[in-house]
Amino acid sequence: MAEELDVNGTKLTPAELEALELEHPDFEVQLESLGQWQLAWRRFKRHRMALVGATLFFGMCLVAIVGPFLLPYNFYTIPAVDKVVYAGRPPTLAHPFGETGSLQRDVLTLVVNGARLSLLIGVGASLFGAVIGAVVGGVAGFFGGWIDNVLMRIVDVMLSLPLLFVILVVSKFLGSGSWYLIMFIFALFGWQGISRLVRSLFLSLREEDYVDAARAAGVDDLRIIFRHILPNAMSPIIVAATLGVASVIISEAFVSFLGFGVDVTQPTWGNILSNSLSFIPLGNWWWPLFPGLAIVVTVLGINFMGDGLRDALDPRAKE
Amino acid sequence: MIKYAVRRTLQAIPVLIGISIVIYSILLIAPGGPEARFAQNPRITAAQIAAFRHRWGLDQPVPVQYCKWLGACGDKPFLINALPGGSIVLAGYRIELPGGDNGVLHGDFGFSSVDGRPVAAVIGDRLPPTLILAGTAWLIWVLLAFISGVYAAVRRYSLFDSALTVFNYVGFSFPTFWLGIMLITVFAGTLKILPAGGMWTVRTIPPFGTPEYWAFFGAHPLMTLGDLGIHLILPVFTLVVVNIAYDSRFVRSSMIDALNQDYIRTARAKGVPERDVIFRHALRNALLPVLTNLGLEIPFLFTGAFVTETIFSWPGMGFQFIQSTANYDYPVLMGLLSVTALVTVFANLAADLAYAVVDPRVRYD
Repeated sequence: MAEELDVNGTKLTPAELEALELEHPDFEVQLESLGQWQLAWRRFKRHRMALVGATLFFGMCLVAIVGPFLLPYNFYTIPAVDKVVYAGRPPTLAHPFGETGSLQRDVLTLVVNGARLSLLIGVGASLFGAVIGAVVGGVAGFFGGWIDNVLMRIVDVMLSLPLLFVILVVSKFLGSGSWYLIMFIFALFGWQGISRLVRSLFLSLREEDYVDAARAAGVDDLRIIFRHILPNAMSPIIVAATLGVASVIISEAFVSFLGFGVDVTQPTWGNILSNSLSFIPLGNWWWPLFPGLAIVVTVLGINFMGDGLRDALDPRAKE
Repeated sequence: MIKYAVRRTLQAIPVLIGISIVIYSILLIAPGGPEARFAQNPRITAAQIAAFRHRWGLDQPVPVQYCKWLGACGDKPFLINALPGGSIVLAGYRIELPGGDNGVLHGDFGFSSVDGRPVAAVIGDRLPPTLILAGTAWLIWVLLAFISGVYAAVRRYSLFDSALTVFNYVGFSFPTFWLGIMLITVFAGTLKILPAGGMWTVRTIPPFGTPEYWAFFGAHPLMTLGDLGIHLILPVFTLVVVNIAYDSRFVRSSMIDALNQDYIRTARAKGVPERDVIFRHALRNALLPVLTNLGLEIPFLFTGAFVTETIFSWPGMGFQFIQSTANYDYPVLMGLLSVTALVTVFANLAADLAYAVVDPRVRYD
């Protein structure tokens, strides 16, 4: 099939276009020109799994923002127990996700309230981590020499340590249960992958002619790094940061589940699970199930979205 | 090549020094120091805490503490102390070595601040369970990843290939600890057919690693092994589901790369049977990146099962790590981190060097 051209919204084959031009000699063809990001958005829209992923992720964000206002129960109000029952109650219409053991809390309320901090920590830590990684990788790749050597050895050190466990210890010792400290700790230990990526991009981009041109025009180094090279290295950073959100959400949940992360007074998907293990012998499957499903749905959505972004942002990708 | 090997090995030295500094700083960030666990005890006086600090050398300047912990300082002069110490007997002559015998450099990680045992002994007890769990899981998922990856690459875009992609996506998105919790909920909580955790049935079998355990093992080998196997099922399944995705995708893409090479077309054009094309021509060439990748997974055997161990109360290094964190047991924490970091550095070094030796297409410098 002949390639179609989009002329002001009408699809034409090259032959039809030529015929039109012959018929109307003064006919002016206005080809639609799209920017880099518009093209990427177009490719992203055609990626079915990416759209599914984005829907899951942004749907979960919506739940996190408005959900707590729509629920009949408040997270901070512990239900009055009419009878002392230790075991939780299975899902019913009033409590579709069931009730926890011991305090008889509504699991749906826990999951919806937990979404806020889990998503915030995931997005925030990954964003800060990407900024640190971009600066470190950019400086290392642009200047090279001993700066590069020192920074990359620091990255090597971080990659040799079991980072999740270093984070665990640091969260326990310094986090004092507050969500924003935990978020910064995750950012502080989560930039080394992106810095390696950015460094390798800078190594090749700094040899480009436009960088020479900028330098010849007297532009200073910092401006070359942030105005001229970094925008061209943005796509892989965006993809890596997106996928990073997923891994932070999982790790934060684990650390908070163990009680070393965010305090139980500030709900996250991890810490609302922390007491659920002791109710497993009673067969209370609904308590661990639903918070975990929320994590899986979100992470799956982010991974699909990240893959879609990778394809959409690659300028060499086929339309 | 030799130049590359030397340079790559020398590069590991500053990394090791950096790791030791990071691990040592864990002691510094601790709220209240190692004596924090006495803070809640009203019967412990300030004088006793001061004595504790003095006893463990915590009242000395930080660089001195670090130097002693590392083993560069000690009874012998600075840096000389870092050399191998003690004495060796060579051809009937007893040779006194110049170095000291304290510190990490001499394999001395200090004593647990909880029960006073040497850290090396604690790690020695915890290492075999970790290796048993992670090793079993690793063998199973490497085998499965291999079979499924090669099959998916050969039958590309088939139903199996798509199903594998979906499975890998989902497995990749599962939080390890939650999968473990759910497996316990289903198989131990509801169905009650498998143990919820631990490594042996406590009432019938003595603790793993003790002389009584081995005596019992000698008397009832099949029962002991069977019991171990039953306790392994859930944690191994967790590790396999979560970790198979990466390897199986790796095998698949590396096999597809190999199948797209010109020599495959040549082999097919010559009329080589398809089975030989796949197993003798493609697979052999696809193996190289796969084997390097497996080399990089060696540190996993030490750290990869940490999360799973925690959930299943498997008495390995990860389980110990969580307990030591909760108890502010710094010497053990630092020892565990040192051992795992060392293994990672050397596994990476070995993988890089092996790759340079094996693949003639790789050129350094």
